[in-house]
Amino acid sequence: MLEIEGLEVSYGPIRAVKGIDLRVGTGEIVALIGANGAGKSSTVKALAGLLPYAGRASWNGRPLPHAPEAVLRAGIALVPEGRGILQRMTVEENLRLGAYARQDRGALTADIEAQMDRFPILRKRRGGLAGLLSGGEQQMLAIARALLSRPRLLVLDEPSLGLAPLMVEQVFALISELRAGGLSILLVEQKARQTLRVADHAFLLETGRMRASGTPDELAASPALAEAFLGGIAPAA
Amino acid sequence: MLLQQVVNGLTLGAVYTLVALGFSLVMGILGVLNLAIAELFMIGGYVGLTLVLADYPLPVAVLAAAGVAAVLGVVVEKVAYQPLRRAPPIAPLLSTLGCSVILQTVAVNIWGSDPLQLPPDLLDMRFDLGQASIGLAQVVIIAVAVLLVAILALLVQRSSVGQALRAIAENRDVARLLGVNAGRLTSAAFAISGALAGIAGVLIGLHYAAITPYVGVETGLKAIAVMVIGGTTSIWGVLLAGPLVGLVEVFSVVHGGAAFRDFAVYGLMILVLLLRPQGLLGGRAAGAQRV
Repeated sequence: MLEIEGLEVSYGPIRAVKGIDLRVGTGEIVALIGANGAGKSSTVKALAGLLPYAGRASWNGRPLPHAPEAVLRAGIALVPEGRGILQRMTVEENLRLGAYARQDRGALTADIEAQMDRFPILRKRRGGLAGLLSGGEQQMLAIARALLSRPRLLVLDEPSLGLAPLMVEQVFALISELRAGGLSILLVEQKARQTLRVADHAFLLETGRMRASGTPDELAASPALAEAFLGGIAPAA
Repeated sequence: MLLQQVVNGLTLGAVYTLVALGFSLVMGILGVLNLAIAELFMIGGYVGLTLVLADYPLPVAVLAAAGVAAVLGVVVEKVAYQPLRRAPPIAPLLSTLGCSVILQTVAVNIWGSDPLQLPPDLLDMRFDLGQASIGLAQVVIIAVAVLLVAILALLVQRSSVGQALRAIAENRDVARLLGVNAGRLTSAAFAISGALAGIAGVLIGLHYAAITPYVGVETGLKAIAVMVIGGTTSIWGVLLAGPLVGLVEVFSVVHGGAAFRDFAVYGLMILVLLLRPQGLLGGRAAGAQRV
């Protein structure tokens, strides 16, 4: 279980995240939603070890490590905003790097094949440069690569960003499928309505502060959601 | 005559290639030109030739030169790069230049400013190639360079460490998110580049049967020209440009005299920069974000 209390993230004198609390239980999909500039990406970058932060963060009862490689080894994998694909490397090299920190490299080939069964397009393109994949294919690669580290918590930062509507549907279906397999997921998104449909619990972030939290139904009914996105006009699905 | 010049050019080019690979490795990963590599080349040459003169076998001398230069490479990283990692790029450039001057001063104090010379009969055997001949020292230089390039290519392309180094070069944050210890691998890159330069120093000492404390400046600048001509962070570009610069240098001396040599090499560098700024084999990333 991931628990955060009073998390603050600053860029010099500017406080981007102003003391938020958050909790992700085992096997849950927890949504962190908010408009551009709300502080969502700063929050997950801090949790992943890429940004320094103040406050308390614990993972399964222990303090969360502060270096990205240690966070990954603890079982938390981040798929960053923009996918973080290594474009000058092949699809297969990207996948192999997903398992770089794993101790049990014996099962790696079988695990890569399993991810290619899940995403057949990656098998077709395995020897090609990852930078030549379409946006949707790159998102599949980014998720497959993160899964190869065998995480217990997968953090997805705006996985639908810049994707065609059909591909967005596929990504959300995949997220539900992964949760059904027992994985905990922290889903950071701007597509509020679509995100609330798959989440078990949701938090609404606005200009660095936690504006509201609750079940998806509670948040969907809250006027805070519409105000946070469009100043009172309900956000599109 | 032509074949002889080709042999001589490829020999020089082999040395330039090794030093340029050292520059390119660090440049590719950190975007920083480590100017101390030129003097690690010189120190490696002194260590190797000192051991050869003390009757140690050549392989031992080469390995010792690689080891000393690798350790000094890590020291340069810890002292001149690591504390300035978040500073503007000019800061580590100048601090490695400072290391370069210090290393040269240290060499002068240890070995003096006169050339350290090998006995003339060492590796003086020659093999006939029809109208040309190749010396044993040249065979050793080219063979060692080819072997090291092959090992480096295998390391970078095939091993998980090589893949991690390439990942850091492309996106340090993403590499760290994948569990790559970027700090440790950065030190490894400085060590590898130092070792390559150190071995190249021994080879140039064998080529000229002597070494001076000032050889690093001249060869280092040529290696930077090789790196620029090949494509700043392209290892394959360096493999093409190293022999090319060696050949240009030798042929320019033959046809234009010694005074024409640097004009030809650096003129070629400027020409490549004007016509193809990314270098002969340098390229852009595979593409921007796609939808």
